[in-house]
Amino acid sequence: MVDEEKFFAWLDGELPADEAARVEAEVAADPELSRLAEEHREMDANLKGAFDTVAAAPVPERIAAAARARRDNVVDLAAHREKRRAFLTSGPQWAAMAAALAIGVALGTTLQTNGTSGPVEVSGGSMYAASAVDRALDTQLASANNGNVRVGLTFRDQQGVICRTFATAASTGLACRESDRWKLRGLFAAPAGQGENYRMAAGADPRLMDMVDETIAGEPFDAAREQAARDKGWK
Amino acid sequence: MTSSPAFERELTELLPRLRRFAHALSRNGADADDLTQATVERALRSSEQWEPGTRLDSWLYRIMRNLWIDTVRARGRREKHEAPEEEALGVGEDPREAIESSLELKRAMAAMERLPGEQREVVALILIEGFGYREVSEMLGLPIGTVSSRLVRGRTALLAMLSGSTDG
Repeated sequence: MVDEEKFFAWLDGELPADEAARVEAEVAADPELSRLAEEHREMDANLKGAFDTVAAAPVPERIAAAARARRDNVVDLAAHREKRRAFLTSGPQWAAMAAALAIGVALGTTLQTNGTSGPVEVSGGSMYAASAVDRALDTQLASANNGNVRVGLTFRDQQGVICRTFATAASTGLACRESDRWKLRGLFAAPAGQGENYRMAAGADPRLMDMVDETIAGEPFDAAREQAARDKGWK
Repeated sequence: MTSSPAFERELTELLPRLRRFAHALSRNGADADDLTQATVERALRSSEQWEPGTRLDSWLYRIMRNLWIDTVRARGRREKHEAPEEEALGVGEDPREAIESSLELKRAMAAMERLPGEQREVVALILIEGFGYREVSEMLGLPIGTVSSRLVRGRTALLAMLSGSTDG
């Protein structure tokens, strides 16, 4: 008599070929076992057939909607990636060059007019967020944006450092947490004529989004993770 | 790096299969769809924990199975303190779910529900969802022998229930 578990393993195609052949011969020689195999095959097929009607039915809208329900910011980043895939073929160095250029342009406009009270502070050859931008990056959640600085995406970069995007009336940028300060990785001047468009933090500037895309590890934080990260001091 | 549109697209493609598994675990269609929705929401919240290159379906099934266990436990605690008719009202019948009007599905769900949970999940994953023993053993963190013996007990009980024959 074939061991029960082995019999079913054979039925499910789980046995190696030589063992399967042995069980098969035993089953063929035993009418009782043959009948049992037949009954189980039929039941397995009926069971699967019954539940397959669920898989064949349309997915209820509330579930399909849940699969799409992500923060606007995330959708922006996704949309941006799709767009970039479609239109940009010249490689990442293009984006890096554009970013370097843009930092110069943005600094030219923000630093000169505002001095040290502006959004940027230069220290030891690096640029850091200052004043209102620094405060917003420290405390503001994307879900509760108000005031002159808007915070967009929060995420971890490939080294595990937390980074956030932001926008002011004049610029948009990316800053990451280094030595308890927000070190600027990128700063872009707002396009002319869009000075009052604060909503661009999340994804309006393709240069910023390229930078995010090259830096990010995994997905942007959702509201809960963003808040948790703030509560832990952006560690 | 997880690509968000790809993740969402793959998740959306897996929804019919996830619903099928949810129906095999749950006592009625409404519970099954609640479970599916909760699984989708959990998956999106923790999408960065999924390792690209590994199977997304196994990861999602594991999330669903764990949520289902949590739900069953919570319900068990609740029903200890509540009138027993809640269960009676919930079993099988939900007129909102047209999908359950299929007699075969109704019978199959009722039979599955009578199996102990540990047999039900193994039967669902192997006989309905088509996973191999090894895959299920890894998914559930069980020795393969345990998977195999639970499957034998579960399907033997199902055969008795669904075919009406009691010898076996």
